[in-house]
Amino acid sequence: MKAFSYVNPKNEKEAIGALSSEPEKAMPLGGGQDLLARLKDYISQPDRIVNVKGALDAAVTAAPGGGLRIGAAMRMADLAGHADVARLYPAIALAAIEVGTPQIRNQGTVGGNLNQRPRCWYYRNEEFVCFKKGGNQCFSPAGENQFHAIFGGGPTFIVHPSSLAVPMVAYGATFRLAGPKGERLVPAADYFTMPTLQNVRVENVLAPDELLTHVILPAPGPVKSGHYEVRYKESHDWPIAFATVVVTMAGANVRTAKVVMGAVAPVPWRSKAAEAALVGKPLNEETAAAAADAAVRDAQPLSQNGYKIQVARTAVKRAILHAGGLTTV
Amino acid sequence: MASPKDVLDQGGRGGPPQPPPPPADPKYAWPNPQSVLGTSVKRLDAPEKVTGRAKYTFDIKRPGMLYGRIVRSPHPHARIVSIDLSAAQRAPGVKAAIVWRDPANAERSTVMYQGDEIAAVAADSEERAIDAARLVKVEYDVLPHITLVDQALSGNAPAVFNGGNVKPGATQETGDVAAGFKQAAHVVEETYATHVITHVCLESHGAVCEWDGDHLTAWVSTQGISAAREGFASGLNIPSANVRVITQYMGGGFGSKMAPDAQGLICARLAKEAKAPVKLMLDRKEEHLATGNRPSATARVKAGVAADGMLTAFDAESWGTGGAGAAAGFPLPYIYQFPNRRRTHKDVYINTGQQRPMRAPGHPQGSFITEVLMEELADRVKMDPVEFRIKNLPPEAPNAMWRPYLLRGAKEFGWDKRHPTGDPTPGPIKTGMGVAINTWGGGGRGPSQARCEISSDGLVVVRCGTQDLGTGTRTMIAVIAADTFGLPVSAIRPEIGDTMYPISGGSGGSTTAAAVSPAVRIATVNALDALKEKVAPALGVEAATLVAAGGRIHVRDNPAKGLSWADACKLLATQPISVEGNWQPGLSSVTTSGVQFAEVAVDIETGIVKVKRVLAIQDCGLVVSRLTAESQVYGGIVGSLNFALFEDRILDRNTGQMVNPNMEWYLLAGMSDIPQIDVRLVDQPERGVVGIGEPPTVSTAAAITNAVRNAIGVTVRSLPLTPAKILRTLAERRA
Repeated sequence: MKAFSYVNPKNEKEAIGALSSEPEKAMPLGGGQDLLARLKDYISQPDRIVNVKGALDAAVTAAPGGGLRIGAAMRMADLAGHADVARLYPAIALAAIEVGTPQIRNQGTVGGNLNQRPRCWYYRNEEFVCFKKGGNQCFSPAGENQFHAIFGGGPTFIVHPSSLAVPMVAYGATFRLAGPKGERLVPAADYFTMPTLQNVRVENVLAPDELLTHVILPAPGPVKSGHYEVRYKESHDWPIAFATVVVTMAGANVRTAKVVMGAVAPVPWRSKAAEAALVGKPLNEETAAAAADAAVRDAQPLSQNGYKIQVARTAVKRAILHAGGLTTV
Repeated sequence: MASPKDVLDQGGRGGPPQPPPPPADPKYAWPNPQSVLGTSVKRLDAPEKVTGRAKYTFDIKRPGMLYGRIVRSPHPHARIVSIDLSAAQRAPGVKAAIVWRDPANAERSTVMYQGDEIAAVAADSEERAIDAARLVKVEYDVLPHITLVDQALSGNAPAVFNGGNVKPGATQETGDVAAGFKQAAHVVEETYATHVITHVCLESHGAVCEWDGDHLTAWVSTQGISAAREGFASGLNIPSANVRVITQYMGGGFGSKMAPDAQGLICARLAKEAKAPVKLMLDRKEEHLATGNRPSATARVKAGVAADGMLTAFDAESWGTGGAGAAAGFPLPYIYQFPNRRRTHKDVYINTGQQRPMRAPGHPQGSFITEVLMEELADRVKMDPVEFRIKNLPPEAPNAMWRPYLLRGAKEFGWDKRHPTGDPTPGPIKTGMGVAINTWGGGGRGPSQARCEISSDGLVVVRCGTQDLGTGTRTMIAVIAADTFGLPVSAIRPEIGDTMYPISGGSGGSTTAAAVSPAVRIATVNALDALKEKVAPALGVEAATLVAAGGRIHVRDNPAKGLSWADACKLLATQPISVEGNWQPGLSSVTTSGVQFAEVAVDIETGIVKVKRVLAIQDCGLVVSRLTAESQVYGGIVGSLNFALFEDRILDRNTGQMVNPNMEWYLLAGMSDIPQIDVRLVDQPERGVVGIGEPPTVSTAAAITNAVRNAIGVTVRSLPLTPAKILRTLAERRA
């Protein structure tokens, strides 16, 4: 790999100071589960690595109003095992426990999971100089796209790789970003960016000299939530599609709903059509199926990933049933 | 190692019934009763392995050792115009740089696949070697390539391969095919296909090479230390007597590690040039691209069955690709008896790494195609698949025992609970059962020699120039010696994996157990005879009256009249026993049979297949070491499950480059993906030793596919059984 300098800042301010406003020049290192592989494969070749594990918060603390504030340096294993997270935001705990392997969860961090780069095999193989690496094409539409996006329409067809991002959007999380000009709070739903030819090399609004330091979750209130992942393998695999559903009830019927799908688009993909299909209806097999149909109605599959529509539909349906306590599979 | 031709000749239809092996010299006959043979002995080297003390090639570290790295072609087909090593030679820590290809030589200037070797460097750290290799400047004239088999077959492809992109084979015909179809009440015409997978040995291919003048010592991750020695000698143009190959432990070999390969020879050349030991182990991407694969197989089949369930005719056109210029043969039809049959096969060449033998070469492909076809035919005649199979088997023989195994397996597996095709249970989860059968040669042959030494301190050392792929060869040797000497296995020290030891064969084609066991038996019997000669005078009896049992040498039927093993060996004083044994026929035989049943659950809303349990009934003649034999079956089944569900070498259809040369998108089962596996080894001690490495991996994929068919009511006719394919097949039925 390309030689780099290594900075071991003691706190957030030092860490930010060690970053660079120039893209891909300096990169923060969390658990290294993504970055190290990219360095070894010559996909990323920064001049400087900034170890943020000792500089950023790794704890869960109470947020004003009854929510939780999760430090970005928290390890995935700790998040998955955190009692308050599991009680208040069960879909986050479920998503965390499904990530990778025990080794990966013991190394990987919340910030790293949210900010990892795409797992697209064209991006990850040096031979393919794609949009994400400064090239002028996405290889997937004419190539091997069985795991690529069914929503979004390009110009790149990556699926967002973060399992945490989807429940974060569903629960209405806010991300705290810190940079040289201070901090800013960005709703999770606005953090992840759809690709355009102008910003095709990044997946979010984080500036090169900013760090995502905290996830702030609002008090959940009386919600029901459900989460369902479909993976090829049970052990160590990326989901083909998954969904988080968060609803509030008015009596027996749904009052509000959030339906967010993962692994189907370059960002966590919220389906307002599915949400509309749920509102005012009871949680049952029939409304779940109708909402799931609505969720995938506008999908635009590529040549080999049409099956993902059915998989995503199933994930949404089962996440809704899970939220309603009606899980059968 | 079985050549593809051997495989086709011996394996395809189970082979002719074998005559019993010629009797061995009675004094070497396998003991009856057995004391340690056939028991469950814990693997002798397990403590070394789990504590990390076992030294694999990857662990070898020599004083002043450098690290080698190969420069490989990113293009699937190109002519090399020039190779410039100068920048690499100037890079930090670089001690040697060589070219492997020669732009000036028309025959050595063309690369035929992504990953083809071009040049190499050695540096003082692995990282520096990797960086320096990227500084080698290679100028390419990129040539047209072929990625897709269909493209090569279409005739529209560029002419890439000398002699054509497709190599047609002769038609093989038996009986009267037309007459056979006239007898058929039902005919099935379908196309079946299996895909390319790679070997994915956990320890990659590679070597550590160290020169002393013109003598080479090579630590190699190889399945054949003797073959590797010959390969180094011929590749480097030195006498093979100057080459010593060592393989103490290896992290798996499935047929691709039979020779030094380019990386071994490159490693030796780098070491020569750098005048220092060099380690050159491949990374995972190189493994996928350049160290072999299992060829694909496709067959357009027409098959007929009579109303009474007897097969009448089989007619197939088949093809497959073994990559750039390599064959893709497989047996077809597999085992079942079609009295009238015809087959035409062609090899299709594409620009990828060449195939190499992979655990039961050809059989998993032939098994899949035939067994799925059998399931469809059984439904046409409305017969139970087990009954239908039994009706169409070759005659029963010691090496063709499918009928009793099918009957036993059906009973133990609960086959009577199997529903007809299509699980009628409501809800998205459908379960089903399937079955498939296997065969393999697995015979041993010479030369295969072992040396047994007994010293006055009582230690027994057995040396054999074989190697352990991870299957437990040391334990097997110790079990045989312990049984001969009436000692516990802990009293035996097996030493293997070094060409300084008596020569044995490569570990391929399931031949190790059947080649090594007789040699060890004969060597240890000879050693015991020599010890008896020492003990007899001390006891005042004839040597022929002595036996070794329970840690003593004593007069037969009179255990009191004898010496403890330790006291007996003290008589050796300064003259240890050192005798050899050479493989003889009569202690081993050829060909196994086995059956496997699988139960699956398929989620028809996601297309995900979960294998719930597998039952394997498998024979391997005399079971030498029961636990390691059972492990072979477990491993074979897991490998075949991976073939069925997960593994797939995926090439970008446009560039010809592999998109998943890793273990992230090249999927392999993890612990949670592995079902309950029940193994029933069938003992056939009268047959002597038969290898078991290959047969268990033949049939699981077909059994799983048939179980999926039984679950969902539609037939998936190609592997792997991806969610995409399951959902598409279900959607086609609905449409």
